[in-house]
Amino acid sequence: MTLANPAIAIDGLYKRYGELTAVDGISLRVEAGDFFGFLGPNGAGKTTTIGAIVGLLRKTAGSIQIFGYDIDRQWRVARRLVGLAPQEFNFDRYLSIRDVLLFQAGYFGLRPRVVCRRVDELLERFDLTAKAHVEYTKISGGQKRRLMLARALIHEPKLLILDEPTAGVDVELRLELWEMLRVLNAQGITIFLTTHYLEEAEALCRNIAIVRGGKIVAQQSTQGLLDGHRETTLAVRLDRPIRELPATPVLRGARFEVGDTLVQVDGLTASQVASALAALEAAGFIVEAVDFKRATLQDVFLELTRS
Amino acid sequence: MDTVNYVGLWTVVKREIIRTLKVINQVIWPPIITTLLYVFIFGVAIGSRIQSVQGVTYAQFLIPGLIMLQVIDASYGETSSSIFQGRFMNSIQELLIAPLSATEIVAGFVLGSLARALAIAGIITVLGFILVHTLPQNWLLYAGVLVVVCVLFSALGIIFGLMAEKFDHLAVLTTFIITPLVFVGGVFTAATMLPPFLRNLELFNPIFYTIDAFRASYTGQSYLPIGVSLAAIGALALIALGTALRMVATGYKLRA
Repeated sequence: MTLANPAIAIDGLYKRYGELTAVDGISLRVEAGDFFGFLGPNGAGKTTTIGAIVGLLRKTAGSIQIFGYDIDRQWRVARRLVGLAPQEFNFDRYLSIRDVLLFQAGYFGLRPRVVCRRVDELLERFDLTAKAHVEYTKISGGQKRRLMLARALIHEPKLLILDEPTAGVDVELRLELWEMLRVLNAQGITIFLTTHYLEEAEALCRNIAIVRGGKIVAQQSTQGLLDGHRETTLAVRLDRPIRELPATPVLRGARFEVGDTLVQVDGLTASQVASALAALEAAGFIVEAVDFKRATLQDVFLELTRS
Repeated sequence: MDTVNYVGLWTVVKREIIRTLKVINQVIWPPIITTLLYVFIFGVAIGSRIQSVQGVTYAQFLIPGLIMLQVIDASYGETSSSIFQGRFMNSIQELLIAPLSATEIVAGFVLGSLARALAIAGIITVLGFILVHTLPQNWLLYAGVLVVVCVLFSALGIIFGLMAEKFDHLAVLTTFIITPLVFVGGVFTAATMLPPFLRNLELFNPIFYTIDAFRASYTGQSYLPIGVSLAAIGALALIALGTALRMVATGYKLRA
């Protein structure tokens, strides 16, 4: 493995199912060590792209390299470098929790005596030791999510691919999983994440690609995406009921109800916010409270993915 | 890097053996009990009225046929249900994302199936010795036919496990093809007991070759030359194995 190579390099990936094009010429680079978010609405091609990376589906066209290893020609090395936590639980119902990890390690060519200690460490780390000898059908949804992550890590991959890793888990566990992922990334594991929880991507990912209709519509740093959409919504509570607002351009489009004291203005830049407040005070109002709503990743996402 | 993932291959075999042990009441004891019933009802009760067949008592004649019957059923059932369940539950993805080649995956399933089939064959062989005092005379032939038959039917199990869209489809091959062919293929009758027309018809039944060759390992006698039967079963096993390998390698109903 060469760290100079990107963790994932996708070039011209196409996947067609008959007339349907699920992935339409995606090219993508994820640098080693990155925490990368791959976002998009349902049916955008996220899981299909992941399937192509890990070899769960046959590409129609294009090439994929994992740390410089081609997934078709050097598939054994490439697969050893990847850990996958898929969206749906797909555990082997005949195995105990401990055996799920031991057998997955075995499929990756690791002997039980070599991996035994790591299995116990992962069970401990993901708080599954007490359930080690029960079948997966007898553990909770949150424990299954943790087991998915433990299984993906058992062969010490350099790239962790997570397809909706926190789907259906409560807030507490979600925050716990976020922390685990941060630690893993800090340890040098590249993380490629898809999620529908945009605050999750905003909190965790350094770089993001947004995909729609099988094509990438935006790809840059999370901060860059947010900075490109700096517009703010201003909400001002005034000292008395509003009859009308001053006819200044910056307040054009302001939202208020006659007789109420709240006025909201969308899409302001920082200097326009100051002008709006000044205009209100000039009109004799006293500003009692001010609130700003900055654009979130959700706003950016909706803007980019709405047709 | 290594060219064969031996640990991965062995892990697949081990997983299949664990699966067999987890459902032992469905897959090991029923064929043993069924065999015992056949031995007592057909072999001992009815067979006592039949003169010797191929130089042995009818009960002794039955044992190799019954072993074949259960080995065929076990081999096909093991791989077909395991593959289908893996597809249905998506757990087969654990294998598909691992550094395992199609050959390693198929070999793992076939060897896992062989383990189940040999366990059943072994138990019936011991029971045959205890109950009707018969043992193979030619162990090499006994083992050789068992292995080839198991490869043939476990490969067929993989093919049908991949093709099936629902569990019901798996039963189609057993109910409408394998079971009838096994029952008319010489489990209960020697070819010499049949009228000439049916005897010639048997030559189109592949199961007939397996039972005829396997029984020769017990009685030392066969209707067809053993080489012909072995060649026929071997050829079928190679075709089935090749087809199963090709289907797994191309990801047929495994990789979208």
